[in-house]
Amino acid sequence: MVPVSELLTALSVVFVVGGAFLFVATRFALPIVPFFIFAGVVAGPFVEAELTLELARYGIVLLVFTFSMQIQFETVRTVLSDSEVVALGQIFVLGGIGVVVSVSIGLPSDQALYIGIAAALSSTIVGTGLLRTGRYRNLVYGRLAESIQFVQDLIAILLILVLSAETFAADPVATKLGYGVVLVGAAIVVNRQLFDLLGRVAGGSDELMLVSVIALLIAFLGAAELAGVSLAVGAFVAGLAVRRDPGEHLGMLDGLHSIRDFFTAIFFVTLGTLVTVPTTEVILVAGILTLLTTLVKPAATIALLLYKGYEARSATLTSLNLAQVSEFALVIAIEGLVVGALAQPVFDAIILAATVTMLTSSLSSRYDERIYQTLSGRGLLRKHYENVDERSAVPDDITDHVVIVGYGRQGRRLVETCEARDRPYVVVEHDPVLLADLAAECEAYVFGDAMEQYTWTKANVERAQLVVSTVDSNSVSNRILTLAGNGDVDVVLRARTVSTARDLLERGALYVSVPEVLAADRLVERVEAVAAGDISGADLRADSLAELERQAASEYYTTADEIEAVR
Amino acid sequence: MVAELASTTDLAIILVTAALIGISAHQTGQPTIVAYLLTGLLLGPAALGIVEPSEVTSTMAELGLAFLLFLLGIKMRIEDVRHVLHPVLEISLPQMALVFLAGSGTAAVLGFAFWEALLIGLVVMYSSTAVVIKMLTDEDAVTSLPGKIDVGILLVQDVVVVILLTLLASGRPDSAVDLGITLLTVFGLIACVGFVTVAATRHLLPELFRRIADDRDAFFLVAVAFAFLFVLVFDELGLSIEMGAFLAGVSLAQLPYSTELRDRVSPLTNLFVLIFFVSIGLQLDAGDLFVHWREAIVAAFVLIPAKFLIFFALLSRQGFSLETTFLGSVTMIQVSEFALVAGTVAVAKGFVGEPVLGFLSLLAVVTMGVSVYVIKYDQRLFERLYPLLSRWETAGTGRTIEQQRYRDHAVVIGYDELTRSVLPRLEKFYDDVVVIDRKVTHVEALEDAGYDVVYGDFRHAEIRNESGLKRAAFVLSSSAELEVNEALLADVGERTTVFVEAAWAEDARELYHHGAHYVVLSPQLTAERLAEYLDAYFEDREAFGVAAETDLVNPRRSDLVSGAVEDSGGGSGE
Repeated sequence: MVPVSELLTALSVVFVVGGAFLFVATRFALPIVPFFIFAGVVAGPFVEAELTLELARYGIVLLVFTFSMQIQFETVRTVLSDSEVVALGQIFVLGGIGVVVSVSIGLPSDQALYIGIAAALSSTIVGTGLLRTGRYRNLVYGRLAESIQFVQDLIAILLILVLSAETFAADPVATKLGYGVVLVGAAIVVNRQLFDLLGRVAGGSDELMLVSVIALLIAFLGAAELAGVSLAVGAFVAGLAVRRDPGEHLGMLDGLHSIRDFFTAIFFVTLGTLVTVPTTEVILVAGILTLLTTLVKPAATIALLLYKGYEARSATLTSLNLAQVSEFALVIAIEGLVVGALAQPVFDAIILAATVTMLTSSLSSRYDERIYQTLSGRGLLRKHYENVDERSAVPDDITDHVVIVGYGRQGRRLVETCEARDRPYVVVEHDPVLLADLAAECEAYVFGDAMEQYTWTKANVERAQLVVSTVDSNSVSNRILTLAGNGDVDVVLRARTVSTARDLLERGALYVSVPEVLAADRLVERVEAVAAGDISGADLRADSLAELERQAASEYYTTADEIEAVR
Repeated sequence: MVAELASTTDLAIILVTAALIGISAHQTGQPTIVAYLLTGLLLGPAALGIVEPSEVTSTMAELGLAFLLFLLGIKMRIEDVRHVLHPVLEISLPQMALVFLAGSGTAAVLGFAFWEALLIGLVVMYSSTAVVIKMLTDEDAVTSLPGKIDVGILLVQDVVVVILLTLLASGRPDSAVDLGITLLTVFGLIACVGFVTVAATRHLLPELFRRIADDRDAFFLVAVAFAFLFVLVFDELGLSIEMGAFLAGVSLAQLPYSTELRDRVSPLTNLFVLIFFVSIGLQLDAGDLFVHWREAIVAAFVLIPAKFLIFFALLSRQGFSLETTFLGSVTMIQVSEFALVAGTVAVAKGFVGEPVLGFLSLLAVVTMGVSVYVIKYDQRLFERLYPLLSRWETAGTGRTIEQQRYRDHAVVIGYDELTRSVLPRLEKFYDDVVVIDRKVTHVEALEDAGYDVVYGDFRHAEIRNESGLKRAAFVLSSSAELEVNEALLADVGERTTVFVEAAWAEDARELYHHGAHYVVLSPQLTAERLAEYLDAYFEDREAFGVAAETDLVNPRRSDLVSGAVEDSGGGSGE
């Protein structure tokens, strides 16, 4: 019998149990991370955690590595301005409360710090890949949640860097930061100079590219180890060294994802195996952390967002998507435990809270609309009417107008058409980023949520002739039909599929635009032309390019669209 | 305060060296396996001696072997080889017997002991899957007739390899009776497990995987878990885990989603296999390696022509054309990397000593190196040698083997509202319309409607290969992702017309420069169209109503599959 090492057996158990739980989670569309942790708890007695711990650390490394590979410097620039305040605010408020509360129940201050960190961070680094159940679309709150999380991720890396200092005196921390800077410098050099060379020399072999990239990663890890800096930081820096041009190295990236998925599964299951039977102390601390995360954090976030000018619905939906303990907190926790800085009970508490909050947050994301309706129905979110009034401009006597919902590319074209024909119109939009454009370019607009009755009242919909919605959201379409569909107002909506469109038509819409169907007509014409040989490929390309250039003049880019495009 | 990863430094050295040597090997056209072996030799006691195997590396090496066989299993699509099965069996079994005799004979003559010569014979009868498949893919010859035959032979050999490995793994038999009992036990257990597996594959697996197939990450991990399940079970039963992994792979191969799985398992396998081959090198002492170097060279010189002649004779007997026979034979002249694998196991179980492993390593490396160049220039070689060989020319009809090979077809990537309207049109102009999609419900609906479907994610090379992009006449991509479309444009042939989708004018321009013939900009088109409708609304309400209705009720929309296109935009939280 070829000796199968203990480690391999442990790994097999980890995967078999993990796989079973994963299957259940996927089958019922539940978040995967908590289920992996459960699997770990179940497999715990059969697996010696120390065995798989090393491989689990590779999981952390790969997670952080692939995350940082996604960062492009331009994206950082456009996104930061939007959500810095909110992200930082969230961290300070929650972190502060977390530390204070922990100290007050008797935890030593260094342990309380970990609780504070767990309460503060809510980013899901896994949102960039493996375990995403997110449904972010081109909507305000989706964009918001992502950018807030992004800022938090950067801060988390910084935290890890600082925490790896021997003590918290200024000197060691400064040295660590110094090393950090040096590593980043090296990464930038590699990115700019060496990476292209590597690509050419590996000559299109995905396998070699993959090996080289991993070698690069491990080389940076080695350097980080020498500098006494945490491996997570080394991995993060290594990710910056990898150039991510779209289209190139698709195979290598996919390969990296497979490897990452493999090791992160090990990581989360191992996390579960490290959990011991909870004592009352553990449950107490976990309970506090959970409360902070599921109640205090959303409340604080909503308040911050309202302050920044977002209306209540976006604020609520965003906050509900951030109500969990971040995987980064888990990474920090496991590093702390392994090194001996974090006590087992506190570690257990953090894992427990993380598992629970990931589950609750996925549920609250699924029902976020309903939660919002309940909250606003109970009058808990009151102030938004003043905002709407302040930031709208609608002439009182407007009548027979067109209400245009959404001020993106389609909205702008429609406004153009109305102005060309001298027709009155009112634009309904709720993204504060567009407020300046609205004020400058539109003769009448309402800054408010299309889901709210008040917005429509403000837009004088009873006297309108036509409502056109350019928002790709079924709930919004349904809402519009309810709110504006009574009476003689014509309603034109937008849907993603023909079946939804037909449904909306039956319920009273005058017309429903399905973007792909509209594009299909043109497409079919051209397909037939080419297939039948009426036009050659080269000619078609030339014609199309020319048309593209003609239309380029009338391109509309909003800041929101820009962010979307860059991402 | 910083926890350290004990094996990081070692792993770093291994990987960096492997990357460097691998790149040089790649530049000279050598297979990466040779590079990895050399890495191990370089870093281990044979040369520099800076790295020693640790627990993590040896576990990864074990995983490497298991995953290699798992991957092999996944490739075993029975339908793919069904039509070449007959000739392949008639070729591969005698071939193995003959090469075994040649190998053992040569070894005995060179002075090896009985058991050693026997083992050597047993391990040289395989050709290298890695080299052959890679070279065939590089030359784009996998679907040619000689290519198909070679692949079939390799598959049969792989099955035999796995049996051999299992036997070796059960340890040295005390007597012939013992050997017999071991053989029977092994076969018995395999039969049992095989039976259970087949039952599960037919009934349980398709349902199971169908439900989670839409989530590609989950699907991949559950498949890996499935492999580990077999590993665990086989370990408990005392059988080789590699055989278990292989069976797991074979079960999964019969599912329609296996191509995609292949692509996802490959990178993981490559990583672990790298470590496996490096660790073989790490075990070899300089002394062991070069003890039999002269014998290795001689053996190489004997076996290469021997293998060629044996294959040539057997293929010729089947009645293939001279060219097919020559090309098919010349590809298989090397000794497989499994020689090393089996050698390692044999050494571990005390069948033979390290020097034999050294001999086998050298033999494998030399034959692999030579074969790479031979395969690269096989056409030219054939032309040169034609005068000599022409007397064996046959009519060439022998057996016409039909190949499923798309040519001048249309490929549609992604099934959505956009492509749905185009499909019926394409059917008019092209004989074959192949649709690539990764949603289970779409795939089923499309198959019902009579289209050829490839299930998988277009981002994967395997999927692109399977749809025959290079030979397609027309390709339509409904993915608006720039990277996917750029990869697409790089893969198509020169005569292919390519239509893609984009969300932004910037992207569209890029795509035109990369060779796209038409870029669909849905958002712009919608905006324009909507504005036109608005105009019409103001102008003539009635005309607007008519136009609006026809848009959605238009009979040229294919209603056949209307229900299947999923409306993922619904639900709360939008």
